[in-house]
Amino acid sequence: MAPAAVKPEDRVSVADLMQEIEERVRGDRRSRLLARGGPREYEDKDVFATVDAALRRALEGRDPDVLLLPDLVGDDHDWRLQTHLTFASHRGAIGPLIIWVKRRVVLPLVRWLHEYNLENFRRQERVNRLLFTCVEELAIQNAKLTKELQDRRIAGLQEATTRTEGKAPEGIG
Amino acid sequence: MKLACVVHRFGADIAGGSEAHCRAIAERLAERHEVTVLTTTATNHITWANEYAAGESRVGRLRVRRFPVARQRSLHRFAELSEVAFSRSASAEDEAGWFRENGPETPALLDYLREHGRTFDRILFWSFRYFQTFFGLPLVKDRAVLVPTAEDDPVMRFDSLGPFFSLPAGFVFLTLEEQALVARRADRPLAPSCVIGSGLDPAPSSPRARPSGLDVAPPFALYLGRIDPNKGCGTLLRHYIRYASEAASPVSLVMAGPANMPVPDHPRIRCLGYIDEATRIWLLSRASLLIVPSPYESLSMVLLEAWNHAVPALVNGRCEVLEGQSLRANGALWYRTYDEFAACLEYVFRHPDTARRLGRQGQAYIDREYRWPHVVGTLDAFLGSLATRAEAV
Repeated sequence: MAPAAVKPEDRVSVADLMQEIEERVRGDRRSRLLARGGPREYEDKDVFATVDAALRRALEGRDPDVLLLPDLVGDDHDWRLQTHLTFASHRGAIGPLIIWVKRRVVLPLVRWLHEYNLENFRRQERVNRLLFTCVEELAIQNAKLTKELQDRRIAGLQEATTRTEGKAPEGIG
Repeated sequence: MKLACVVHRFGADIAGGSEAHCRAIAERLAERHEVTVLTTTATNHITWANEYAAGESRVGRLRVRRFPVARQRSLHRFAELSEVAFSRSASAEDEAGWFRENGPETPALLDYLREHGRTFDRILFWSFRYFQTFFGLPLVKDRAVLVPTAEDDPVMRFDSLGPFFSLPAGFVFLTLEEQALVARRADRPLAPSCVIGSGLDPAPSSPRARPSGLDVAPPFALYLGRIDPNKGCGTLLRHYIRYASEAASPVSLVMAGPANMPVPDHPRIRCLGYIDEATRIWLLSRASLLIVPSPYESLSMVLLEAWNHAVPALVNGRCEVLEGQSLRANGALWYRTYDEFAACLEYVFRHPDTARRLGRQGQAYIDREYRWPHVVGTLDAFLGSLATRAEAV
C-alpha cells in the first residue's frame, strides 16, 4: 500500500532544512578552526561567514576554464601540467623505430609508474585550477569594493559641491 | 511517424542507463509509430566486441537493425587519447580522435544513415559521446533529435561540441540542469527542446519476507548500482568509515551492485554484489535512506526509484542535477563535504518522521512528473510539433 501523501501543513522544505544543517556545520567548523589556532578574525562569525561564502562562490560558481588569470600568466606550455605522454625522437631514419620501441616495449614495462604519477598530477592540476579560481574571485571582489568606494567618494564630493554652490556667500543679499 | 532510434548498444540484457532509457522510450513510441532501432552488435561497453549477429530482427513491435563494430577499443590507447583530449591544448583532430576511439566504431551504420536517413521523419540519437551519434548525427541533422545524456564532465569542455550542439533539429533532455549545461556549451541558441526525464510504473508492493540468504536488517542506508570510483564510491566509503568511527550509533551501509573497486572489510558495511529484482525491491522498500554519491549524472534513475518507494535520499551536492532534483522533489538532502555528509546522516536518523515526509514528497514528485503516460505524451507532442527543416523547405 502506498504511504499517505504529505498534508500541505506538514510539508518539509528541503531548502530550509539544508540551510539549517549548513549553518550548523559552518558553526562547528568555525569553532574547530579557532580551537586549533586558526585565524583570530574568525572569532567574528560574520567575517567567517563572508570568507566561507566567497570561497564557496569561487569553488562552485566559477568556471575554471574561463578565467583571466591563466591568459595573463602566459604560454600554457610554460606552466600548465602536461599529463599525457608524447613520444618523439630527433634521430632521422631510425627515429620511428625508437618511437616504436618506446611505445611498445618501454611503456608497458613502466606503465604502472606512469599511472601512479598520473593520478597525482591530476590532483595537482585540480588544485592549481582551484587556486586560480580563488585568486580571480578575490580579485573580482577587490575590484568591486574599490569601485564602490570610488563611487561613494565621487558621490560625496558631488554632494559637497552642490551644498557649497547652493549656499549664498556671506554678506550678499 | 516513421522514427529511428540510434543507440550504441541495445538489448534486454544491457544494463547501461542511456541504453535502458532508449529501449524504454522506443518500446512505448512503437505503440503509436513505426520505430526502427539502429544499433551495434556489441554488448560489452568496455571492448565493444561483436556479440549479437549483424542484420535485421524484430523485438516486439520494434524493428532492430544491428551493424558490426569495425574494431574493439584499446583501453590503453583510449586512456592516452583522453589525456590529450582533456588537456586544454587539444586540437579538433584530437577531440575527433577521442570520439572515434570511444567507439563503438560502426562505419556501416553511418553508411546506412547516409543512404536511408531521409526515409525517416525523425531520428533520435542517444548520448552525444559515442561514435554513432557524434559522426552520424551531422549526416541527418535536418531530422535529428539529440538525447544528449550530458553530464558536467571533462568531455563537455571539448571545443568541437559548440558547433555540434548547433546541428540537431531538436533536443530531448532528462533534466533542466542538463538543458542549461548543453545551452551553455552550444555556439548558438538551442533548437526546440523538451525535458522528459524517464518514466516509472508505480512501485510494486514489497515482499514481506526477507529474500533467503540476505543477511541485512533495518535500519540501513543503501547504495544501489555499480560500485565504481567514477560513481563517487571511493569518497562515499571514506566518508562513511570516518562517520562510523565518530558517530555514537552509526547506521549500517548496504552496497548492492557489481564492484569494480575494492570495498574495505568493515563490520558495518555490507557489500552484496549483484542482486536480483526481488532483493532490489526488498532493499528499496526497507532502506531508511538511499545515498547517491555520483559527481556526474544527467538523470539519476536510482534516485527516482527510491522516491517511487517513498524513500528519502542523500545525494552529492557537487552534482547540479542531483541537487536540482532534490530541491524540486523536496525529497533529498545533499552534501559537499564530510561534515555535511555526517550532519545529514545524523539528521535523517534522529528525525525519522521528517525523513518519512521527505520520502513521501519524493513519491508525490514522481507521481507528478515521471509516470509513463505523462513522459510519453510530452515526447510524442514534441516530436509531432517539431517541423523538420526538410519539411519546412
